[in-house]
Amino acid sequence: MPEYMEPVIERSKHFTRPETKAGGIRANKPGPPYARHTQQILKGNFAAAEGARLSRAGFIPAYPITPQTTIIESIATMIRNGKMDATFINMDSEHSVFAAAMGGAQAGERVFTATSGQGLFYAHEVLHAIAHFRLPMVVCNVGRPSIPWNIWSDQSDSIAQRDTGWVQFYGESGQEVLDSILQGYVLAEELDIPVMVVLDAFYQSHTSENVWVPDQDLVDAFLPEKPVRGTEIDLTHPKSMGGMVSPEHYEDFNYTYWKDINRVEDLTNRIGKAFGDQFGRPYGAIEAINIHPGTKKILITLATITTTARGVVTNHPDVGILKVRLFKPFPRKSIVDLLMTSGIDPETCQLITVDRNFLGDNEGALHQEMRRALYGHQFKLYGIFAGLGGKDIPPVTIQKVIDRKLEDPNEIIWIDNE
Amino acid sequence: MIEIRGHARGGQGMVTAFEILAKIFSKVGGYQVQAFPAFGVERTGAPIMAFLRLAKDQILNRSNVYAPHLVVVFDESLIEQMDVFGGLRSGGSVLINSNKHPSEFKHIAENVFTIPATRISVKQGLGSASLPIVNAAMMGAMMRIFHENIDFAAEVIRENVPAKPDANARSARIAFSSVVKGTSARYTLPELLSHPEQITRSNGFDKSQKASGIKREPDARVPVWDKPMTINKTGNWRVVTPTFGDHPPPCTHNCPAGTDVRLFVKHVSEGKLQEAYEVINQTNPFPAVCGRVCPHFCQQNCNRLALDEELNIAGMERYLGDHFADQEIEQKPVTQKEKIAIIGSGPAGLTAALRLRQKGYPVTVFEAHSKPGGMMRIGIPQFRLPEDVLDREIDRIVLTGVEIQSNRKVTLAELESDFDAVVVATGSPLGAQMYVPNEELALDGLKFLHDFKMHEIRNGIQPGDRVMVIGGGNTAIDVARTARRLGADSMIYYRRSKKEMPAIPSEVREAEAEGVTLQLLHAPVSIMKNGRDFKVVMTRMKLGEPDKSGRRRPIPIAGSEMEITVQHVIKATGQKPDSFAFSGTNLKPKHGQLESSHRIPVFCAGDMVGGATVTESIGSGNRIAKEVDAFFRMEEFTNDVPNADRIVTPEKMNFTYYLPAPGYHNEEIIPKEITGNFDEVVTGLSREEVLAEANRCLHCGDCSDCGNCINYCPDAAIYYDDHNRLRIDYDYCKGCGICFAECPCGAIQLTSEEVEYA
Repeated sequence: MPEYMEPVIERSKHFTRPETKAGGIRANKPGPPYARHTQQILKGNFAAAEGARLSRAGFIPAYPITPQTTIIESIATMIRNGKMDATFINMDSEHSVFAAAMGGAQAGERVFTATSGQGLFYAHEVLHAIAHFRLPMVVCNVGRPSIPWNIWSDQSDSIAQRDTGWVQFYGESGQEVLDSILQGYVLAEELDIPVMVVLDAFYQSHTSENVWVPDQDLVDAFLPEKPVRGTEIDLTHPKSMGGMVSPEHYEDFNYTYWKDINRVEDLTNRIGKAFGDQFGRPYGAIEAINIHPGTKKILITLATITTTARGVVTNHPDVGILKVRLFKPFPRKSIVDLLMTSGIDPETCQLITVDRNFLGDNEGALHQEMRRALYGHQFKLYGIFAGLGGKDIPPVTIQKVIDRKLEDPNEIIWIDNE
Repeated sequence: MIEIRGHARGGQGMVTAFEILAKIFSKVGGYQVQAFPAFGVERTGAPIMAFLRLAKDQILNRSNVYAPHLVVVFDESLIEQMDVFGGLRSGGSVLINSNKHPSEFKHIAENVFTIPATRISVKQGLGSASLPIVNAAMMGAMMRIFHENIDFAAEVIRENVPAKPDANARSARIAFSSVVKGTSARYTLPELLSHPEQITRSNGFDKSQKASGIKREPDARVPVWDKPMTINKTGNWRVVTPTFGDHPPPCTHNCPAGTDVRLFVKHVSEGKLQEAYEVINQTNPFPAVCGRVCPHFCQQNCNRLALDEELNIAGMERYLGDHFADQEIEQKPVTQKEKIAIIGSGPAGLTAALRLRQKGYPVTVFEAHSKPGGMMRIGIPQFRLPEDVLDREIDRIVLTGVEIQSNRKVTLAELESDFDAVVVATGSPLGAQMYVPNEELALDGLKFLHDFKMHEIRNGIQPGDRVMVIGGGNTAIDVARTARRLGADSMIYYRRSKKEMPAIPSEVREAEAEGVTLQLLHAPVSIMKNGRDFKVVMTRMKLGEPDKSGRRRPIPIAGSEMEITVQHVIKATGQKPDSFAFSGTNLKPKHGQLESSHRIPVFCAGDMVGGATVTESIGSGNRIAKEVDAFFRMEEFTNDVPNADRIVTPEKMNFTYYLPAPGYHNEEIIPKEITGNFDEVVTGLSREEVLAEANRCLHCGDCSDCGNCINYCPDAAIYYDDHNRLRIDYDYCKGCGICFAECPCGAIQLTSEEVEYA
């Protein structure tokens, strides 16, 4: 096999970087106030831009689209003001943005960009290429749907890309977006797989709130420079990229990808724990809220819906929340472990997915993934659609979900549209 | 947790204000904060909301605020449009941007505060009156009702506003001290802030709340685009309003006679020539005359000038006057008892006579000369205005029942006992002075024109004589051209340059083509007679600064005098009114009714009170007839021009939609042998040329139903009603102005006022 066709080799068995590289940085205690941080009032999009700056992303190809635009605008401003050292290129479309991102990553740059809705749909072809070229990068997507024309919060765009090979994280707050970008680069560069951090439009992208911005040296200790693989574009050693691969070899690359993608869930948990040790805010692939043997209902949520649900379940000791942070690859093992060890009664406890996406199928994506994850187990799973196209999900809607009499697990419910 | 909801219009800065407030509160009290907007689409004028939550612990709600402790209204007009106070907690507070006292809103809430934020902001130069940027003032007012430190807040505002930091900080400070508290209002918010434990660890959720009341679209598949989206009423975004309306074109607006030029040209373009004639006839009984001798005010500001060349409106008018004036005229019955006398049968007198006759008054016109027509008769030569053309149009007036008594030079005193009103319109037939020694030796230009046209008196001009004509107006040109036709060598001496000549440019051009020479920048110094010859001393002139008329003032060049020998000197340096009719009184000419002690009312019109052209005199005649009629009906007389502020000027046109097209000109036939040839020089257009020329009209301000507005309206808010009229659906028009910009002919206007609609 020629050199350029050699599959990427598995490089490390365990995620160990933070422990070895942290050096003299003092670990943070859990909970605010956080040492070596500055508290700021930031919109979600600005927190994302801060994440890119702190990650020392060096190449930003960009194209504007509501509601993402202020991310790239903010980065452009930071570059102009000398607060960030990166090359910023205005491209002619999202397809070109991702093509440029691909080239930048191939040249060894740490790449960041952001898009939304139609922009992400348009870039679909290049998303596959970036993933299967094994190019690490972190990209933010601010979710919005397609037609009927709409700019508000909806996850149909990013979930439509779930099979492109990208890792997907969904953020609940501006803080989590910033933190996930930092962790995303560690994960991406460990596995050479690209990471998408998804924000909810407006409820997150345009919401100003308290965000703890870590100091640069704290981030530098956690996220060192992008490792050099030796496969980067090198003018002194020209090579061909993207050449034809014959049937006898193609599967080898997929096999390697499969092995690496199966490490994402575990690595996410390890990186999240290491992040917690250093920054004071631990993360995992999922988060369990109020799940105990007496729990009668568990809401399974993505992104900002979780926050409002947290508020409502404070009045319901027997209702829990399973927040999915890593959506792709779906953290099946973490979820099953949680449910099997929580002591809930599979006969009576109802698991209810809340989907803010419609994919032309009977169930929403979260519901599909949960069914897949729970295959072979006896849990009762119910599906709810809510909040599509930015429809507000106020506490009353969450209350309606909790109060809804659920009998037939095959029945899919449009909670605000019955 | 404290929840605040704001209502504003896009562009007032509310979203920025709520972000800044989040920063202020996070700093002053270490609050957890959450601020976010909810808008339709980011656009100026659209109603938007913003939310702010403040808590000591984590905020566990990312939905909109439905049960606010405080509602802040940035734009008072929103109160009418939506339920801005919906869900306000009992004991909640309300802050409204309004000049009114809070008592006017006391039905809304217990604790009402108002702040004249628009007034404060506009005074500080923040935004405009239609869309003031009131956010700094509103923040200042909120600091007041929260009892927070304005100095600190003003600093945060200064650091965070995108522009005008000082004006914004000042605006906030002024607002802080300008909040008006309702009589029974209490400051409950500071208490909430200082005792956050009194607020339950609430997530803003009250079980009594109902879910949002948005109705389902029954069986909706996709939005329907052939009419406005029923679920997206955007009318309340509008800060400017487009309307179809009456937009006068420059031609109509400029016509001194008041003719609806655009309408008659439209009729011509549709082949309805008789209708076109009738349109002119409503305001101008002399289309054949004006088509020949008017300076064409209608063409001087024609919008086609910006495209290629002006429309030949005069050519069309002349054609209609020459070919469509032969229908029967019925004598109008006398319905009014007041008898009207009119002195002078020029264009003003005859027009006034016709209009008053049409209104039912018995009218008698007194003419000093042997034939009626005034200056049209005695002052305009045959080769510009043939006698039969004038006779035909005057005959039409006589046929309506107007009585004309010629050879009657009368005074007011003679008419007082027989009439109930007198209109004096005796024109300006007397030559003005030049203030040059021996100027009485020079022949008066108008007298020369009169003598020759009425009596063929040559005033001694023989073929080969050198004739000096002094002046630069139409009379000077007519004199020189008449003398040329008597075989003389005509020379016009004018003290300024050609550009300043008051004569119609085409007349000057024709005169030169006929061999008349122009001696520009010459002025007479003295005149002497020596046998049959005149010796005239002339001085060269140069042009100085513009004078009151806007023309550059001529200044003699010292030492440039020269003596010129000619056989005739004719002066045509201006005219003055003939006030013979006022003999025995101390009345002075002035337009309208004169203040006099006569038994009967005396009115004055025409060239004697200003306006030196036939068309201006016709307009004056129309107007004085209305005034006389109003007097007898005891009505108030006004002469306001409607919609004068809506003239379709070139910048209101969209020339992209028009192609250049060459115009059709009236041919000028300069006779090879000029002596003795008094044929008309300018010929008329053919029917085909008239129709083609009418099609060049841009119908400025008059909707031609091109459909551009319908095609371009992004909200499908323009439609045809049941009567096939274009209408705007103001429920959906968001005032984007695209119809206004894309209307080719300026038939749509934008106003900042709302329109009344059902």
